[in-house]
Amino acid sequence: MLKNYLKTAWRNLIKNKAYTIINIGGLALGMAVTLIIGLWMEDELTYNSYFSNREEIAQIYQSENFNGTIGTGPAIPRPLEKALREEYGDNFKHIVMSSWSTSQYLEYMETSISRDGNFMQSEAPDMLDLNILKGEKDGLRDINSIMLNQSTAHALFGNEDPIGKIITVNSESPMTVTAVYEDIPVNNSFKHLSYIVPWDKYVASMEWVKNSEDNWGNNSFQMFVQIAENTTMSSISAAIKDVKKESGEDIAEFDPQLFLFPMEEWYLRGNFENGKQVGGRIKYVWLFGIIGVFVLLLACINFMNLSTARSEKRAKEVGVRKSIGSQRGQLISQFLSESFLVVMLAFLIAVFIVLISLDGFNDLSRKGIEFPWSSFNFWGISLIFVLLTALLAGSYPALYLSSFKPVRVLKGTFKAGKYASMPRKILVVLQFTVSVAFIIGTVIVMQQINFAKNRPVGYDKEGLIQIPTFSEDFTGKYDLMRSEFLASGAAIEMSSSSSPTTRVWSNRNGFDWEGKPEGFQEDLAWTDVSPEYAKSLNLKIIKGRDFSREFASDSAAILINETAMKYMGLTNPIGILLKDNAPTDPDPPVKIIGVVEDMVAQSPYEPVKQAVYAFNREEYTNFYNLRLNPKQSTSQNLAIVERVFNQHFPGLPFQFQFIDEEYGKKFAAEERVGRLSGIFTALAILISCLGLFGLTSFVAEQRTKEIGVRKVLGATVFNVWNMLSKDFLKLVIISCFIAVPIAYYVMNGWLQEYPYRVILKWWIFALAMIGAMMVTVVTVSFQAIRAAKSNPIKSLRTE
Amino acid sequence: MLLQLNNIFKWVNSGGQRIFLLKDINLEVQEGEFISVMGPSGSGKSTLLNVIGMLDGFEEGEYHFLDESVHNLREKHRANLYKEYIGFVFQQYHLLDDLTVQENLEMPLLYKKLKGAERKAKVADMLDRFNIVGKKDLFPAQLSGGQQQLVGIARALISNPKLILADEPTGNLNSKQGEEIMDLFKQLNEEGVTIIQVTHSEKNAAYGSRIINLLDGRMI
Repeated sequence: MLKNYLKTAWRNLIKNKAYTIINIGGLALGMAVTLIIGLWMEDELTYNSYFSNREEIAQIYQSENFNGTIGTGPAIPRPLEKALREEYGDNFKHIVMSSWSTSQYLEYMETSISRDGNFMQSEAPDMLDLNILKGEKDGLRDINSIMLNQSTAHALFGNEDPIGKIITVNSESPMTVTAVYEDIPVNNSFKHLSYIVPWDKYVASMEWVKNSEDNWGNNSFQMFVQIAENTTMSSISAAIKDVKKESGEDIAEFDPQLFLFPMEEWYLRGNFENGKQVGGRIKYVWLFGIIGVFVLLLACINFMNLSTARSEKRAKEVGVRKSIGSQRGQLISQFLSESFLVVMLAFLIAVFIVLISLDGFNDLSRKGIEFPWSSFNFWGISLIFVLLTALLAGSYPALYLSSFKPVRVLKGTFKAGKYASMPRKILVVLQFTVSVAFIIGTVIVMQQINFAKNRPVGYDKEGLIQIPTFSEDFTGKYDLMRSEFLASGAAIEMSSSSSPTTRVWSNRNGFDWEGKPEGFQEDLAWTDVSPEYAKSLNLKIIKGRDFSREFASDSAAILINETAMKYMGLTNPIGILLKDNAPTDPDPPVKIIGVVEDMVAQSPYEPVKQAVYAFNREEYTNFYNLRLNPKQSTSQNLAIVERVFNQHFPGLPFQFQFIDEEYGKKFAAEERVGRLSGIFTALAILISCLGLFGLTSFVAEQRTKEIGVRKVLGATVFNVWNMLSKDFLKLVIISCFIAVPIAYYVMNGWLQEYPYRVILKWWIFALAMIGAMMVTVVTVSFQAIRAAKSNPIKSLRTE
Repeated sequence: MLLQLNNIFKWVNSGGQRIFLLKDINLEVQEGEFISVMGPSGSGKSTLLNVIGMLDGFEEGEYHFLDESVHNLREKHRANLYKEYIGFVFQQYHLLDDLTVQENLEMPLLYKKLKGAERKAKVADMLDRFNIVGKKDLFPAQLSGGQQQLVGIARALISNPKLILADEPTGNLNSKQGEEIMDLFKQLNEEGVTIIQVTHSEKNAAYGSRIINLLDGRMI
């Protein structure tokens, strides 16, 4: 029986080629979108699933209160380690102190490469359960050991056995390779962990780390833990909550609250607002999930609409089948197997579409998704998905068509009633509601991105490069390098800074100044800079003066930005002293000598943070900032810069970043969302139009006789076109009025996350509506004009 | 006795008025009869046929078919009943366009859930009997009207019905083809199949053993 059903269905498909292409093509597109989104969601939801202990791993986070604003983050002070180990040790299986991920130069013989990695305590490989390919898991015992991931080991040693080989890190101390571990996959928080160096090495080699052993105020470190068996994250969080607060009065002022942030939530739920967890990327996972379901729904609606529109043609068949003995159930299964066949074909095409577009999608979404050929789950879920789609798309036509009374349809008097097309109309409205909402959403996302992109940043980011100077080799070389670069003609100004231009790496508090309000707890973005910083960035001084090498006293001077001036409550800030109120070993006071214009260093969607630019009193620096010579081409400048660099640091690879590119990266997430939603919107509209196209052709066919009669009576092509288009246009207009409030509500909510945001204008909505109507008119006109131009004699004769 | 209609009334309401399609029909049909129903357009011939064939219901009266009270049966049972005992032949043939001759013949058997071998045997039998073996792989559109009606009759006969209902079976055929079809009906009747046909033609009506005349829904 099934064979017979499928045979009939197949012949039906072959016979109505246009209908088949619209139906299967549209469905395949919809399914491909849903499949790709499904694969993407799976990739997001299985982030960090590489670690077998993921349910027990957490990072210690703390919330601190700055004048009523609670900031939450992973940075913790060193003495916390001792406190937790001594008093709460039973709760943990492992406690691992870690540095931030830093880029270091690794050298072996002639090969020198730069990789990211961490200083971590020796239990790290055990806690993360790293897959050791060579050497020993317990490889961080010796202070001069290093563990490498596979690709780093390969880059350094090729096919040689790396174990026991000695490499130098940052051209300093020699380290022995003790283990090689499998690369951590891309969808993982530790994907950048190319090497691990013992924590003790960090303490031994960095003066400031050593000095912070008992300093509860220096939040410059990370701590990862694996909880002990029979404990829970929440009970430990409750127990350790106040450990830091109890360390001293000056610390308690900020009301620090410690808690365990579970690994399973790092990636998808990593946003905190005023001390509360407020989701994160999970929002996009759901957003795209919903988009996927909607796109599939649009394609299913096409299928339903086209099938029921053809019902009058198939009514006779139903009647005949019933009169020769078919029961309703048998007809229902016939129509369902037909829809199954269509969906199955569409699925095969969809898989093909996914295969050819996966690379492009990976580029766009920054993913490494592979087609899961061998995944039992994938095929299982796909089968269920195909069956559900077949049921969803086929159930309405099946129930509708099988309910025809044989007498009525066989007599040839069958005419669908006045309201028979009602469900069809509702479905079209639903389709265009979704499409119009997608259009509005995409336009607003794009607008918001452009709005933020065009925001004045306060400095000149074109023609500016930064060179990272993390290696000790750079210590004490700043003045020399500056004069060399300037003399070479490649740069017209140069400065150094402790944070990159597009970030703030450190924040400080604990100062007193004249006129400081009682109980005010400040939080200042703090960057140590060389005296030429403002000049190299073209940062405008709006009060006071810039640093000058001519005043020896400037070594204890700072610049603040405009926001900081208001934040600190200063109307005339020049000459005000900032005194460090640390009880032990305080820094000497610094004097404000000037105010600079606000520059956007952090999120382009948020207000500029109050910032201090302090005269760099020490010799260490993290970046050189070079203003390239505008009279020469960039490539010329870069070639010269590289040559000069190599003369002075022959052992180090030349690395640099364009500041405008670095700044552009801040938009990456939103741009990705924008581009993806743009593509999905285009597909949604395409699918809806395919459906509309098919539907118009059936309506034109149904009304052939009417059109013929009207033409004989003198109707013009325009009259007929108008008559056919009007019906559909009405539906689209209804859709617009449903879509606009929904889109407004959703997009307004989305924009609330951005303090610096575009204002929703009415014309965006009007534009989207007009766009949808134009698309409808064009689509409908193809068929309408053809029908209107046909010869009435011909159409009347066929009756 | 094959079937019996007692005081059958059928009507529709239109604009507050009750329009009768069938009025007080009383009819008894014995097995082996060949009945012709005649009457002008709109007199209720086809309606009567559809009521007998159980494709259409009625508002009042009793209908007994082989000792089953059709008026008391549920839709599903009714369908089972006609599926088992009645074959339909239509003026427009009503073959399934997407199926070949052979597949069209097989369809009723599929609905009756017969086994494959049995179906094949019956279909082959029928093709043979109607002399259309050579046409078995053609689609309806590739056949002439007479040939299509032949297939239609073969399809009606394939599940061995006790009764064949034919609604103007020769209405779309030329006179020669019509004559062949009527001869075929006569032959079937002689083999024991009960036939009720609706016709406009006196000549075709003459093939039957009894004529029923209808006017405005009444038997006269």
